[in-house]
Amino acid sequence: MPCSVLIVDDHPEFRAQARALLVAAGYHVVGEAADGESGVRVARDSRPDVLLLDVQLPDINGFEVARRLRDEPEPPLIVLISSRDAADYGSRVRRSGAAGFIAKAELSARSLEFVLRGSR
Amino acid sequence: MIGRRFGLALIGVVGVAWILGAEWVSISHGVTENHFIDALGGLAFLIGGLIAMDRRPGNVIGPLMLGVAFVPYLGNFGNVQVTPLPLLGVISGQVAAPMLAHIALAYPTGKLRSGLDRAVVATIYGAATAVNLVIILVFDPRAGGCGRCVREWAVFPNRSVFDGVLSAYQRIGFVLALAFLVAVALRWRRATPAERRDLTPLWIAVSIIAVVYLLQAFASPFVDDPFAYLLWELQGVAQIGLPAVFVWGLLSSRLARSAVGDLVVALQQPLRPGELRAPLARTLGDPSLELLYPLDGQDRWVDADGRAAPLADGLASVTIVQRDGQTLAALKHDPGLDPELVRAAAAAAGMSIENERLHAEVRAQLEEVRQSRRRIVEAGDRERRRIERNLHDGAQQRLAALALSLAMLRDGGRADAATAASLAEAGDQLRQAIGELRELARGIHPAILTEEGLTAAVESLVDRSALTVLVKADLDDRLPEPVEAVAYFVVAESLTNVARYAGTCQVRVELARQNGSLRVEVADDGVGGADPSRGSGLRGLDDRVAAVHGRFLVETPDGGGTRVLAEIPCDG
Repeated sequence: MPCSVLIVDDHPEFRAQARALLVAAGYHVVGEAADGESGVRVARDSRPDVLLLDVQLPDINGFEVARRLRDEPEPPLIVLISSRDAADYGSRVRRSGAAGFIAKAELSARSLEFVLRGSR
Repeated sequence: MIGRRFGLALIGVVGVAWILGAEWVSISHGVTENHFIDALGGLAFLIGGLIAMDRRPGNVIGPLMLGVAFVPYLGNFGNVQVTPLPLLGVISGQVAAPMLAHIALAYPTGKLRSGLDRAVVATIYGAATAVNLVIILVFDPRAGGCGRCVREWAVFPNRSVFDGVLSAYQRIGFVLALAFLVAVALRWRRATPAERRDLTPLWIAVSIIAVVYLLQAFASPFVDDPFAYLLWELQGVAQIGLPAVFVWGLLSSRLARSAVGDLVVALQQPLRPGELRAPLARTLGDPSLELLYPLDGQDRWVDADGRAAPLADGLASVTIVQRDGQTLAALKHDPGLDPELVRAAAAAAGMSIENERLHAEVRAQLEEVRQSRRRIVEAGDRERRRIERNLHDGAQQRLAALALSLAMLRDGGRADAATAASLAEAGDQLRQAIGELRELARGIHPAILTEEGLTAAVESLVDRSALTVLVKADLDDRLPEPVEAVAYFVVAESLTNVARYAGTCQVRVELARQNGSLRVEVADDGVGGADPSRGSGLRGLDDRVAAVHGRFLVETPDGGGTRVLAEIPCDG
């Protein structure tokens, strides 16, 4: 069964590229969301294995989304993404409970697989 | 002036003759009373009234005091059996009380300030007038059985009505005396410290008189009753207090004016700005005194340090100090101060006031420049944040999307080896450009400073540095954005200088909050010898720290390392 992924990012072009990349790598993209609140809602409804989550969202940020989903019965593995570097967020990445962080420019099937493998 | 003084002297001579003549008439008719106290009381009011009319010609206090000096002595002449002297003698007994109440509540301005004061005085005058009108109608000592008495002008002579009216007036006097005591108590409560200091002796004296009137309600209206006689004597002694207090007030005013001379001598010593208020306050006896100076043609007022201050607050009085048509200053002071004394003190301090006004103007302009500089720095910080945000949302997003596209093309399997190699090379160049753009954005404004605060931003900076940096941060809460921004750039610029010039890798960074300020220290053990005047970086930091009212210091002895210290106020 392919791994299911929900993409949460406020840039539609990036969502489209990420979807194409993930599908080409064999992932099953179950949905997309353009902001934090709808990302939480869709994640609770669709229960993906992985949440590809942008940090900078228009309403609540990715750290807050991660915090809300942490207490779900089977929370998804959260991979934070951003145009910025992880160092720009200091200890918040570590404290968020996310499986990892990938800069958008570094996103690939390989980097995603590396992060998910490290979290298992 | 000479004519007025001559007139007053004549009144004085007549008054002395009147009072002493009245006492002689009483003595010669065998009237039993303390003639010495009686005469002393009248003479005290005569002297006080003459002084009041001389020093304060438009004030009603003077004529009222003269009224108390003259009118009650008609009672003494009432022993002379010549119509209408007995009647006038009886009537005069009701005149002193209203005039005393009027003096007590109108002193020292001569005006009744509150509605209650006006109502009490008007009622006392009204009661006395009403009683006297009845007396005029019914008083005839011959009708009372006095065979040797002259006939008066009574229309309805009736001894029992006459006695009843006097008894009733004493009972009414009880209520009026109570109302008067309430009015005095309220005046004391409303009074400023200067007024209480000057007028408490007067209010004590009139309160004693009012209590005597209260007690007279329980005594016989006729002085041959022992209790009534005692009260009469007590009233006479207390009444001497009123003119004594008035004369004392004039003497105090004179003493205060001599203090103005001492002020002139004291101001011959040069004063530092802000030091003029204390000697002026001492001279006027008003610790609440404030000195304000006008800016922008009196649109704004500032204190000696150039800080804005309101002119009117509804509590203090304001005396404007002018010279040659120009407003120099305003004195905010206790409303109870003698206005002439305030003006005299201000005139004596004229040159010092002018100097302090110039200083206040300069300080106010300096403060405006500081505020303007602060606004410029804060606007610059906001613009930096905006540019960083635009870079993140714009160019960085597009380049990241381009990197993704290149990765997909490279990993898609459709490109031949050469194309794949070119795509990989393009991807590497792109990632390098993204990294440089990211570093540029951090240099403009580090996002972590906004997201996480100063400590996290400094730790992130240190993580990326090639130096070995020991960070000691003792900050519990976030600080205002302008403070965090300045502190961050102090650390960033200092670390850059260490990397470039210090010849060492060991650096210590300390962040601590002390006494309402943020203390930022960056110290290395390098070669030292930095010259803040030659480098634009350190000069820029000095300007930025100064713009937020902070202190910037660089200690850099040759061979002794360099220590950069900034203290930035956090509160307001």
